Amino acid sequence: MKEFKKKVRTDGGMKEFRKKVRTDWMRNRSLYILVLPVVIFYILFNYKPIYGAIIAFQDYTPRLGISGSEWVGLANFKRFFSDIYFGRLMRNTLLLSVYDIIFGFPAPIILALLLNEIHNRFFKNVTQTITYLPHFISMIVVCGMLTDFSLSTGLFNDIIVFFGGERHPLLQDPSLYRMIYILSDIWQQVGWGTIIYLSALSSVDSQLYEAAQIDGANKWKQTLNVTLPGIAPTIITMFILKIGKLMSMGYEKTILLYNPSTYETADIISSYVYRIGLLEQDWSYSTAIGLFNSVINFVLLIVANKLSKKYSETSLW
Amino acid sequence: MKKQVKRGIALAMTAVMTTGLAGCGGGETAATTTAAAESKGAESSAASNTETEAAAEFSYPMEAGEPLQYWVETTTTVSANYANLGDTPFAKGLMENTGVDIEFLQPPQGQQKEQFSLIIADGDLPDIMEYNWVSDYPGGPEKAIRDGVIIPLNDVIDQYCPNLKKYLAENPDIDRAVKTDDGNYYCFPFIRGDESLLNTIGLMLRADWLEELNLEVPETVDEWYTVLKAFKEEKGATAPYTFEYTNNQYLGANPFVAAFDTNYSFYIGSDDQVHFGAVDEGYKEYLETMHQWYEEGLIDADIATMKNDQVSAKITNGTAGASLGQAGSRMGTWLAAAQQTNPDYDLVAAPQPSREKGQKAEFGHVEVAYSGRSSAAITTSCEDVERAARLLDWAYSDEGHMYYNFGTEGVSYTMEDGEPIYTDEILNNPEGLPVSQAMSAYIRGNYNGPFVQDERYVVQYYTMDQQKKTPEVWGAGSSNGAAHVMPPITPTSDESKEFSTIINQINTYRDEMTLKFIFGDADISEFDEYVSNIEQMGLERALEIQNAAYERYKTR
Repeated sequence: MKEFKKKVRTDGGMKEFRKKVRTDWMRNRSLYILVLPVVIFYILFNYKPIYGAIIAFQDYTPRLGISGSEWVGLANFKRFFSDIYFGRLMRNTLLLSVYDIIFGFPAPIILALLLNEIHNRFFKNVTQTITYLPHFISMIVVCGMLTDFSLSTGLFNDIIVFFGGERHPLLQDPSLYRMIYILSDIWQQVGWGTIIYLSALSSVDSQLYEAAQIDGANKWKQTLNVTLPGIAPTIITMFILKIGKLMSMGYEKTILLYNPSTYETADIISSYVYRIGLLEQDWSYSTAIGLFNSVINFVLLIVANKLSKKYSETSLW
Repeated sequence: MKKQVKRGIALAMTAVMTTGLAGCGGGETAATTTAAAESKGAESSAASNTETEAAAEFSYPMEAGEPLQYWVETTTTVSANYANLGDTPFAKGLMENTGVDIEFLQPPQGQQKEQFSLIIADGDLPDIMEYNWVSDYPGGPEKAIRDGVIIPLNDVIDQYCPNLKKYLAENPDIDRAVKTDDGNYYCFPFIRGDESLLNTIGLMLRADWLEELNLEVPETVDEWYTVLKAFKEEKGATAPYTFEYTNNQYLGANPFVAAFDTNYSFYIGSDDQVHFGAVDEGYKEYLETMHQWYEEGLIDADIATMKNDQVSAKITNGTAGASLGQAGSRMGTWLAAAQQTNPDYDLVAAPQPSREKGQKAEFGHVEVAYSGRSSAAITTSCEDVERAARLLDWAYSDEGHMYYNFGTEGVSYTMEDGEPIYTDEILNNPEGLPVSQAMSAYIRGNYNGPFVQDERYVVQYYTMDQQKKTPEVWGAGSSNGAAHVMPPITPTSDESKEFSTIINQINTYRDEMTLKFIFGDADISEFDEYVSNIEQMGLERALEIQNAAYERYKTR
């Protein structure tokens, strides 16, 4: 670093560089101050903890700390790969994520397209507000409601019986678990998700619609040929971001909804980490699993971005 | 170095001040304790006199000093009326009596394990922590000492805790249970002081329905079948038998597992070896029976997700006719709630079912006098160990014992013929609080904590006749369970990780498969495969570790 500085200085470029920084600072001072809290947030909560990931390679005890704990190499990773639940955890996490992308990702886009076609302002606002609302309900409350409604005497079963079905405790059935998880997720997040697409839709040039109309395109054709291409960059960006989070399903909803009878389909990596790490205090092992998870996400994000760059010219970087 | 000098000065000051105070304070304490001392006999007061001498004329209350941080689980009967344990008259009186300012830190209900982990990871520990160091600290108390979380108390008890020391010397069985294999004391234990306090959970069912249907209280599994069937068919109960399946305490106490001479988890067999119940032939029979009951709708269809509030609703509104629970917090609450709308509503305790009529059940739920729960340890972060130790030791003195179990004389109890009797403040609370909540304001005797629970509390706590019968119905006469219950054994620090890895896998699998067998998602013919899977997960090694720990326990 020092050498580099010297070199720059002898080139006389340092002076110029400093001047550049100074003028930039003078010009954009308020913007820098504005972004500062966010930068600090990321440093504190997203970068600093990376240092702690070291304990994945240790047999960590808080008293000995990172410097004092014994190094065990890849033992924690080996233990996870040979864990009898490894396959099941991977499968459950992946399937839940994939279903979330297949069903959960298009949902807000479709809703946004539908909302876009509504011309009655009042009706549109009311609909939008109603679909936003579930987003603000705490996860614990949502899961409490789901659990109650899913009882054999609950609301969902009342509906099933109304349509001629049979009463059945829904949250004790492993085959229904994913559906309940994904559908409730869509219900909760779909309205919130539309915001970004609605703003993208509003920026589609209205002249294009006029042109399409003149060419005799009906509503469906307009959607297909004007609207969707218009918001495609937004969709692709959101999709890449979603892929980057593919394997990072949070544990909160899972631990509130599952019970031993649904472990088969419900237990995912993060809920397992929660049980082992927080409840059993096996810090190193759970960190190793978490790190493994992050590496997968990292790779997925890069791959998705590469593919997108290659085929659609839209990419994150 | 500087700290040591400071501490030395503090100690010297303490000595000077206590001797000064003993003159005026001593007389007062003696007067208030006479009542308690009388019932306990003269010998103990003589003994405590010599103890006090040994402890350099120490007496309560201690002079003011730094407040101590005290981490303790939240209890429903307290949190119903007080945001923090520190707000209760109990805590205020405790601080006054001992002279120690206490700052109570309480994790949100049901999150104590998580919160505990976070505190340990953070490293900034409260001075005193109440926890189950035997079963909830991974690796047990010896590991907690080695991890530098808590301090060994051998010297501390010798120097500052005459009362606990005396109690342990008088009760060698408990003494053995409250130390580690290496002979380290680590906590101020919660001890159930009498056999009648060991049978707190049991079966109960609708007495009014039984009478109406002309049925007896069931004693065998077959009779239970008949009764539940009648409840379903005659009384329209859609979930005849239900209980809090999500609560591990109830799973471990499950009387229908015990009816088949086995246990959900580890138990001591008649060969004096540790066994794992969930692979026994009896467990298979239990699963078969439960599956049949489930198919016929005799067990709550939603059993796997049942929590307290749902069970309470079902048992009080007639959806269910039988359940499992404590005499105080369940039976009493349900009776009181249901009788408001249905005066005929009545519950009766049923004994541990057996397989043959007239035969005493071999297994049954019995607690051990010291199970490890709610026991206070002093952490390595505590700077004034003596102060913390003296505070905790007070609970084991005659005076402290009365205070933890009965509260303040004249307020929460009065002495009648040498027996403490709760006042109307507790039993007929003017603000209409249930007995359990009124008690929790003044004492800890009705739930838990680091003290010796007094049997004289329970006969008064159970205000209803139905409750009063429970110690006998669920008690030692009903089963031979005490012979099979696991004492608080611990694996060595080296083995603990291996053991917890194996047992976590096994328990997850057992919990999952148990429900599958009951629901019929897995056929009972797969039971052998289930057993061999558990064996492959390392059951033999787990049993080896448990048996070695049990051997060490016996030779403590």
